[in-house]
Amino acid sequence: MLPCLVVLLAVLLGLCHGSGAHGTELPRPPSVWFKAEFFHHILHWMPISNQSESTYYEVALLRYGGQEPWKLIPTCNQTLALSCDLTMVTLDLYHNNGYRVKVRAVDSGWHSNWTFANTRFTVDEVTLTVGSVKLEMYDGTILGMIQPPRPKMAPAGNTYESIFSHFREYEIAIRKVPGNYTFTKKKVKNENFSFPTSGEVGKFCVKVKPSVSSRINKGLWSEEECIILTKQYFTMTILCIFFTFILLLCGVLAYCLALQLYVRRRRKLPTVLVFEKPSPFILVSQLPCPEAQDTIHPLDEEPFLKVSPELRNSDLHGSTDSGFGSTKPSLQTEEPQFLLPAPHPQAGGTLGSGEHPEMEGSCHIGSSDSTDSGICLQEPSLSPGMGSAWEQQARSNSTGQDDSGIGHCQNSEGQPGDTLGGSTLGHVSPQEPEVPEEEDSAAVAFQGYLKQTRCTEEKTTKTGCLEEESPLTDGLGPKFRMCLDAEAGWPPPALAKGYLKQDPLRMTLAPSGASPRQWNQPAKDWPLLDLTSCGDLGASDWSFAHDLAPLDYAATPGSFLGTFNSDLVTLPLISSLHSNE
Amino acid sequence: MKVQRVSLWLLGTVLILCSVHTRGLRRCLISMDMHHIEQSFQGIKRAVQAKDTFQNVTILSKSETLQSIKPLDVCCVTKNLLTFYMDRVFKDHQEPNPQILRKISSIANSFLYMQKTLQQCQEQRRCHCRQEAINVTTVIHDNYDQLEVRSAAVKSLGELDVFLAWIDKNHQETSAA
Repeated sequence: MLPCLVVLLAVLLGLCHGSGAHGTELPRPPSVWFKAEFFHHILHWMPISNQSESTYYEVALLRYGGQEPWKLIPTCNQTLALSCDLTMVTLDLYHNNGYRVKVRAVDSGWHSNWTFANTRFTVDEVTLTVGSVKLEMYDGTILGMIQPPRPKMAPAGNTYESIFSHFREYEIAIRKVPGNYTFTKKKVKNENFSFPTSGEVGKFCVKVKPSVSSRINKGLWSEEECIILTKQYFTMTILCIFFTFILLLCGVLAYCLALQLYVRRRRKLPTVLVFEKPSPFILVSQLPCPEAQDTIHPLDEEPFLKVSPELRNSDLHGSTDSGFGSTKPSLQTEEPQFLLPAPHPQAGGTLGSGEHPEMEGSCHIGSSDSTDSGICLQEPSLSPGMGSAWEQQARSNSTGQDDSGIGHCQNSEGQPGDTLGGSTLGHVSPQEPEVPEEEDSAAVAFQGYLKQTRCTEEKTTKTGCLEEESPLTDGLGPKFRMCLDAEAGWPPPALAKGYLKQDPLRMTLAPSGASPRQWNQPAKDWPLLDLTSCGDLGASDWSFAHDLAPLDYAATPGSFLGTFNSDLVTLPLISSLHSNE
Repeated sequence: MKVQRVSLWLLGTVLILCSVHTRGLRRCLISMDMHHIEQSFQGIKRAVQAKDTFQNVTILSKSETLQSIKPLDVCCVTKNLLTFYMDRVFKDHQEPNPQILRKISSIANSFLYMQKTLQQCQEQRRCHCRQEAINVTTVIHDNYDQLEVRSAAVKSLGELDVFLAWIDKNHQETSAA
């Protein structure tokens, strides 16, 4: 009986022991330790020996030196988990004296004993790391930039540089691939470093280990960062120099091209300096300076002497054109044939005297209507018919406006010239029926122009011919002095400018009325005698200015003609001209 | 007039320099490499702290104990704590491991050097102890006395990192400025 009871008791005790050990004691985790990096605090523990699938571990944390008790961490109660991230509950690690931590196993309500971490978890146990390493190649040197860790769980203001503010150091290890791991190490005290390669090319790998010289924290080598170095044929400096050279070359080529184009380009005169070739048909309308046309210039005797006989017999002579309106050089000689037509048989002489057969030229009525220069050498006619013819001519001249105006009774419509002709007409017309005989005796019963060929006499007074008054009062009659201003550059065949229309009627009816004073008045009144040249005219137009000067004869004041006509001094001159022929 | 100005300027400069000097002399700073001591302690920290069975009790690391020390009391508190460790902790701790004992001896020798530096400051009356500093020292001694001597010694020895960190923080030139 007794042995049975003992066996039963032993079995019962054995069963109770087993259950109690299982409920009260679970093997506790053998060890607990921290693996911490910068704001990455991981608690590790070893599993129990006989853990089951339902075994989990409890973690408790205590801030060393604080008033709080142990705090369980529920996030770590995961089945079969052997580590737990305690970063969020240990954020104040870098500002206190550390944490104490313990772990125990739990399985089916059974708990093990706590296992404490051997050391107090402090900032000294944080392993220092780097965030990243960037490498660059510059001018044969490897440039490195170390980036400290930037964990996301770190509170604001808790950066690596702020916590470890002083004595940060980095150990640099470089190796050339595929060489052996013969690292070249150097320590730097800031996040930037450089490593000269001495012109070597190939692949270089770099790793970095951080540390703080005032602390005992361990550092962890970073991963290798590699860079391939090649021959720098096209460095930035070389490229800049190359592109600068290209730009300079292009600039020089552009400059040369522009210069060539400029040189080869046809040069054209500015439009301002381009003068239109004068057209003979236009010149008549281009009379810009009426006054210049009236300018009388002394004739040079010499060119006239050189005139060939052919020219004398040219159309210039044969026509009523005095030559002023044509491009042909006018011939001015002392010979009476010059520009004077053949004397009209009916011509009684010159003006008033009828001694100029030349004056008896074919100064037809019709000629007055021609488009010539207007110098109409009218035949001196003493017959009444001529007077009437003259009158008719005078009338017709009022319509014929194409001549030079000298010697024509033009512009009876109201122009200043009309005063001359008009007065003449008016003077003539009423007297015509009264003194026809006087007309016959008028040496100049024509619309003629008195050639002023006394250039020999006037040689001494070439330049200031207008100023001389005495020759005009010598009784030579209304002799006009025509001076050619050689200095003005007149062409050698100087134009006979100075043909003055002679109004025979006025001369006869008012013979003695003329006085030297009146005779001299033309110097002021008659623009034809004005020495002022028409500067607006070009050189080519100068001849025309002279030629056309007589055209403005009609514009001359009537007073001059009045004085002239009344001066019988002209009559001898005309007669002398005829006698020379 | 210019001479007076120059003399006044010189006098002011001298006064400023003297005040700075005296201010520097007031602060008795320990200028030694604490890193060596910290490395020595790091070698024995695991072994010593592992023997600390009273995890929720502290002797030095209470927040109101060392964190509230004012700069004027740093010299006095430093001197008192050095004396505490030299006279009580190192003597009460019985270390059987010779490697750990070697490390502890190295730390003790460093503490002895620091004690001599601070004693010179005290003789020059630059390490005046105020009541606050005395109170802090008293609390530490009371905390040490609440534990069993070996446990207290072990705990105090395990808290050397706290004491060294506090010295490193309060005895640097930057912190003094």
